Amino acid sequence: MKRCLIVDDSRVVRKVASRIVTDLKFDVIEASDGAEALDHCRNTMPDAVLLDWNMPVMNGLDFLRALRREADGDKPVVVFCSTENDAEHIGEAVRFGANEFIMKPFDADIIESKFAEVGLI
Amino acid sequence: MLDETFNELSDLALRHSGQLIPQSKSYLMEARLGVIARREGFGSLDDLAHCLRERPNPTFEAEVAAALLSQDTRFFRERETIETLTLSVLPARLKQTSNGKLRVWCAGGASGQEAYSIAMRIDEVGGALKGARIDILSTDLCKGITERARKGTFGHFEVQRGLSIQRLLNYFQRQETGDWRISDEMRSAISFRQHNLIDDSSGLGKFDVILCRHVLSGMDAVARRDVVERLVSQLLPGGVVMLGEGETLAGITNSLEPSMAYRGGWVVSGTAEREAAA
Repeated sequence: MKRCLIVDDSRVVRKVASRIVTDLKFDVIEASDGAEALDHCRNTMPDAVLLDWNMPVMNGLDFLRALRREADGDKPVVVFCSTENDAEHIGEAVRFGANEFIMKPFDADIIESKFAEVGLI
Repeated sequence: MLDETFNELSDLALRHSGQLIPQSKSYLMEARLGVIARREGFGSLDDLAHCLRERPNPTFEAEVAAALLSQDTRFFRERETIETLTLSVLPARLKQTSNGKLRVWCAGGASGQEAYSIAMRIDEVGGALKGARIDILSTDLCKGITERARKGTFGHFEVQRGLSIQRLLNYFQRQETGDWRISDEMRSAISFRQHNLIDDSSGLGKFDVILCRHVLSGMDAVARRDVVERLVSQLLPGGVVMLGEGETLAGITNSLEPSMAYRGGWVVSGTAEREAAA
């Protein structure tokens, strides 16, 4: 089973995303900020990361930059998931190494479509 | 919903678009007509059907019939078909033409996602296709949908179904409303026209490729046969009809046979072997 790390400071968003991703047959791990997410990754690299942008302690962009410098940090497919959904922010996320970008609000269909886009399902 | 209402509305769909709505799918009526019923102030579909009966109004009738159709569409739906079209069918057709011009028809093209996906993919594939003049026509029965398709503006949810983020950045611009608008370059490759597939299609001209995906399967047998014959008569010699995944024309027409060169493609009967050898 593939593992997906869901990183968001909102418990509600994590819960909703977790249910959707579980339905797509992923094992789900949750983290509430970038630093916590990075600890998870150093422990075991997930196959996919669903990543929020604005979070306390370490935001999504800083996490992504740090992740890509880790050993095997290029392996996880990172799908940004943010309300910062103008072309500049999206472009920045992609330049920093995001594989896909979901604009909030999302639904199950969008997550499925985006996961298919990057070959996760 | 009264049985009488179901019967009247399904007759209306059949008459206008050849679409068959089985009783088991009467919930689709509620779902698809809800918006119109509320806008017009009807408390139920029974009231709406009653009004159609008592005060016949062709414009409203047409709107109801169009709303009853499935508008299920997404960017790059069944992308293998788009790949076959842009990587195989169009390049092969291009070699056969002398003027470098090709015409593609998205028959039942809804809000334009199919046509725009083709235009984007042609742009990406580039090469000979880029230099060619490829005109895409997208037609739909519904006037409102056709107008929306022409604008090339899509909502938050639409641009996240089937469209990669790279394509969104490459081909779309975010509007102040939060919607996304496809580039003028993509829009200029496509014409949009309101057209009912059960009507005479000769005014649309002839085509190298006709895509008619997930349209025929909702129709009743008579309408399906008529529509297919109309498509066949708009096909240029050597042209290809492309259907949706899992769709077949077997038992519907003898005019076309499965292409031996292109998966999901259908060509004029008696030509598949020659086409494959070409």
